[in-house]
Amino acid sequence: MTSTQATTPAVEFSAAGKTYGSVRALDGLTVSLQAGQTVALLGPNGAGKSTTLDLLLGLRNPDQGGRVRLFGTTPRQAVTDGRVGAMLQSGGLMDGVRVRELVALACGLHPRGHPTEQVLADAGLTGIAERMVGKLSGGQEQRVRFALATAGDSDLLVLDEPTTGMDVTARRSFWSAMRAQAAQGRTVLFATHYLEEADEVADRVLVLHRGRLLADGSAAEIKAMAGVRRVGFTLDAVPDGVLEAQLRALPGVTELELSGAVVRLRSADADATVHAVYALGLYPRDLEVTALGLEQAFVALTARADAPHPPGAEPAPATTTPSSPHRKAAAK
Amino acid sequence: MKTLIRMEITRALRNKKFMFFSVIYPPALYVLIAGSNSNARMPGLDIDLSLYYMVAMAAFGAMTAVLMGNSERIAREREAGWVRQLRLTALPGRGYVAAKIASAATVSLPSILLVLLTGAAAMGVRLDAWQWVAVGLSSWAGSFVFAALGVAIGYLATGDAVRPLTMLFYFGLAFLGGLWLPSSSLPGWVQDIGAWVPTHAYTALGQAVEAGHAPHLGDVGLLAGYLVLFASAAAWLYRRDTRKA
Repeated sequence: MTSTQATTPAVEFSAAGKTYGSVRALDGLTVSLQAGQTVALLGPNGAGKSTTLDLLLGLRNPDQGGRVRLFGTTPRQAVTDGRVGAMLQSGGLMDGVRVRELVALACGLHPRGHPTEQVLADAGLTGIAERMVGKLSGGQEQRVRFALATAGDSDLLVLDEPTTGMDVTARRSFWSAMRAQAAQGRTVLFATHYLEEADEVADRVLVLHRGRLLADGSAAEIKAMAGVRRVGFTLDAVPDGVLEAQLRALPGVTELELSGAVVRLRSADADATVHAVYALGLYPRDLEVTALGLEQAFVALTARADAPHPPGAEPAPATTTPSSPHRKAAAK
Repeated sequence: MKTLIRMEITRALRNKKFMFFSVIYPPALYVLIAGSNSNARMPGLDIDLSLYYMVAMAAFGAMTAVLMGNSERIAREREAGWVRQLRLTALPGRGYVAAKIASAATVSLPSILLVLLTGAAAMGVRLDAWQWVAVGLSSWAGSFVFAALGVAIGYLATGDAVRPLTMLFYFGLAFLGGLWLPSSSLPGWVQDIGAWVPTHAYTALGQAVEAGHAPHLGDVGLLAGYLVLFASAAAWLYRRDTRKA
């Protein structure tokens, strides 16, 4: 995504912030998404994902000084023009109507609405089209929301934690339907707190934490960041200075801690690290490899983001771009 | 927009419980109030009690249905997040308000018709054919004003505050407009205020027809003004609703 063409970005946030009372939900977000990208907005609960999407969709306005543009216009205008389809998290549905009626309404309201039957089929709703909306299960409701989001020929699809409440099968078929949407050239932006989802579907991942953009990179880069493992083992003897330096230089190692003969280290590539331990001729006992997990990876990232360039700090396991460069600013 | 209007009407018709009580209540009240002394002259008006209350109860019943129905339902839909989803469609604010007025009008029409039927069948009201049609139509069209007010109230308040706020408008308008007691029996200063409330103009339409005249232009103008005011306020509140939604 290094295109420098003077095309209008599909989505452009400029210093967009949002404060609720004393809570800074979003802290001056500046980022732009090019048309055709599938982008994941990744972060734990309370990271500011929903606020970001609310601003994006014009459901809320950014605080003074911030700006959000969709296809070079205001979010409201883009929505009115039928350029945006959205699936809100636990967005309520109209009660007292059948699934088919509700989907037909969405198709009818969209300036370039698709045929109702096709939308029902794509969302896997044909079998329950005559059911009353109030009588659906959580997963079925999510499919109805997806149908509402895809009722017309929109250029941008926005999905807020779309797979909440779905089982594994439903999840899989949901993402395959989503990929079909992306394959038609739509820009897709979805919020999730599952790294696996971001990894499987997105070609760009934005990591939000406490209202700030922590990282912006490919799924592989983010995964490497979050893929840090803890490796622990016990040696036969307390390692000397030479061995300690050797351990520190093992592939993937970012942190080393010794307490007697017990070695604890962090590695961005645990497989290579363990392999190299054996290659040194060592016989590690009680070998343990544990995942750090996304939540802890976020904490690690935050700590790094908060620290003002620690001298001689451990090398980051993957390159991060805390905020995207403002190359497109001139292309208005 | 037409799809939404059609759907809101379908929903109103499916809500049988609400429909039943909204339709039964006004004629019952009509018989209770005007039943004993239906031929007594109303002071200051050239129509009798049964005629006066036929229009008043048709208005009251229609207002009950549209105010209660719209405000509480809309507040619920906002809280459930449906309105948020709807705001992500190309639907303009006026389309939303129009659909809600249409849905309310679906409930108010049968209630009005039933009051008129009760007047003819049980209260001995005799009118010319054009008068029946004109009374029915003016009662129905006038109810749109209060339907729009109901939409606006549904956006002004949420949760527990909706009902008290609706009640405040509901009783205030009914009292000041002379729906329960003829305005002429109220103190002068109340009458002065009452002359400007929409309910007063609303019943004045039907009363003029019953007395054999055309509705007064002033009343029609006042109602039209209120309709525009309430509907614009409702449309604006719908679009602006970024707080809770």
